Amino acid sequence: MSEYGLRPGSADVQSAGPITFGPAGILFLADNGSATVFAVDVADPGRSAGPEPFDLADVDARIGSYLGCAASDVDIRDMAVHPVSHSVYLSVQRGHGDAGQAVLVRIGVPDGAVTDVPLGQVPVAQTAIGDAPGEDDQRQDVTLPSGDQGEEVTYGGRTIRILRRPIRTSTVTDMAYVDGDPGTLLVAGLSNEEFSSRLRRIPFPFGADVTGNSLEIFHVSHGKWETAAPIRTFVPYDHGASILASYTCTPVVHFPLAGLAAGSKVVGRTVAELGSMNQPLDMVSFVDEGEEYLLVANSSHGLIRIACRDIDGQAPLTTPREPVGVPRETKDLQGITRLANLNGGYVLALQVNGDGRRHLRSLKTASL
Amino acid sequence: MSGAAAASIAWSQCGAADCIRLSGLAPGLGVEVRPQLEVAAGGFPAMAGRLVRDGDDVCFVPRFPFVDGTSYTIAVGGATAAVLTRPRPQQPASTEVLAIYPSAAEVPRNLLRVYLWFSAPMSQGYAATHVQLVDAASSEPMTGAVLPAGSELWSADRRRLTVLLDPARIKRGLTAQLQAGYPLRRGEPFLVVVDDGFRDALGRRLRSAAERRYAVGADERRRVDPGTWTVFAPSGGTREPLEVEFDRPLDHGLLTRCLHVTGPDGLPVAGGPAPGPGERSWRLTPGQPWAPGGHRLVVDPVLEDLAGNSVSRVFDRDLARPADRPRPVCGVVAVAFCPR
Repeated sequence: MSEYGLRPGSADVQSAGPITFGPAGILFLADNGSATVFAVDVADPGRSAGPEPFDLADVDARIGSYLGCAASDVDIRDMAVHPVSHSVYLSVQRGHGDAGQAVLVRIGVPDGAVTDVPLGQVPVAQTAIGDAPGEDDQRQDVTLPSGDQGEEVTYGGRTIRILRRPIRTSTVTDMAYVDGDPGTLLVAGLSNEEFSSRLRRIPFPFGADVTGNSLEIFHVSHGKWETAAPIRTFVPYDHGASILASYTCTPVVHFPLAGLAAGSKVVGRTVAELGSMNQPLDMVSFVDEGEEYLLVANSSHGLIRIACRDIDGQAPLTTPREPVGVPRETKDLQGITRLANLNGGYVLALQVNGDGRRHLRSLKTASL
Repeated sequence: MSGAAAASIAWSQCGAADCIRLSGLAPGLGVEVRPQLEVAAGGFPAMAGRLVRDGDDVCFVPRFPFVDGTSYTIAVGGATAAVLTRPRPQQPASTEVLAIYPSAAEVPRNLLRVYLWFSAPMSQGYAATHVQLVDAASSEPMTGAVLPAGSELWSADRRRLTVLLDPARIKRGLTAQLQAGYPLRRGEPFLVVVDDGFRDALGRRLRSAAERRYAVGADERRRVDPGTWTVFAPSGGTREPLEVEFDRPLDHGLLTRCLHVTGPDGLPVAGGPAPGPGERSWRLTPGQPWAPGGHRLVVDPVLEDLAGNSVSRVFDRDLARPADRPRPVCGVVAVAFCPR
């Protein structure tokens, strides 16, 4: 792993965020507590897996059983599938508040065995997220820490220990890796202050500076209004040449990735809207009979399938009326919150039922 | 509590670690611990941990800490031997909501963001169910007004929560905006309500619920323009505060970091900055008396008003309006002033 700049160390993840696989079985983990992305060699023990589907009922309760907590204490924040073994990796926050901790969970395929992946004393590299609080941001919350965190200060002859933490934070909403030389980790984020649409392109292996290599992706609504809104989820397709992104304000927007200069203003092409009272949750691409398709999970409707060739042929939307835009099929698959490619023949979905139970379910790509 | 396979099974300590201690365990029997779950536990994995021999006892030391209030089933030799419930400390509620921003009495119809400040670090996972907008006239919750964020937006120490109103209903022209309308309605007051079920970092309820009432005014769609601000220059040689009045309320979070002052030497003037009432003003009390000569109020162009319009751009730009064009900003915007 040294060729990717990974060195023995620890990925001290404070708050579980999105995950995605990169080259050579390296998993990227976003830590939304420390505004850091880690690259970790997960040393997956599984063998090369076949084309079979994989389903697992009550995945949150199973994880809770392993972690020693109720299913309601298991917050599954993202899912990724190992490209060789097809083991399922879940970014989990166990518990709440001070008792909360981030855990990387691995579910073996096909046996369904639940384990946690060690993040200490493993090959690891890390990079800070570009729009984390700047050095010139003097605003700090000062709190009294427990233990030996923070620094000692003296007020009026009395010495106490305080902890200074920045107020401004950036939350990673989605990540994807695009192969290349070097490869590129794409990171979308949501600020807890300004409303902006920043997509960071982080070369991998990680270098020293990622701050300058970010794009503001504007989008135009119906030819009349232009906005820079945070990207909620996105997926590269066409070998990483194009991106389909969905925004907190629900437009689905296409933009090319290749040839974009850092810091340039990019206006994406709005090709669809997800509609009212609806939020994008996740996207994945798959190939069926030589044709590339995208799946969009969303909070209010069934799973949406879009053919990539239709995106390329879709003119920018000019009429705010649904259904308009790129042709799409809405599948009768409700409650899907996360998607990942399982093995080419199947897409793995994390699905929540009406009773709140969460299951892993394989969706046959030829039937979608 | 005891079972047939062990004389005693109880909460204990093994070294410095919490454990379940089994005394009088018959030799050769396996021990497994599982939390009691709402769904049937057939085939579910045992809780991760290790068995440690401690004298004549066997201790189950978990990989992940036991959770307060959770019950655990201990199986010995495949049969349930005991159920232990982790006690939940009964601590009085002491955390409260310190402030809700904006602090202005009236907000524009296209209000984008609200900040909640708590007196202590909080738990994540409660915002969606314990923060809501409520119609002041009917006392009914305004369903769908708040963005159901997948990730809650906290400050690093989890004392400030950022709540976004659904931008799909604010941005013009989207189907969501046309179908569901703005989250707010002009002339119809509303409340931001935080109920006491919101849990702090120790899992305790809030000491009390909190709310703030707002009137709803017209849309705000202009770019923030520091040229319209009124700067009250302080007297030279004094430590009088510099006062700046805005033409509208600005975002509390950004206001606190986006303004600073440089002196004639171009260096920042150290001092105590503070947003004014209703975030309609800002003042800086210098640490040292004002030096003579030209000063600059330096504005970071990301500074936004309550509707997400910033110095550099409006929230949603009407492409047909030349006034909406983004302002070409190179770094910062500055307003010059001279102490009197």
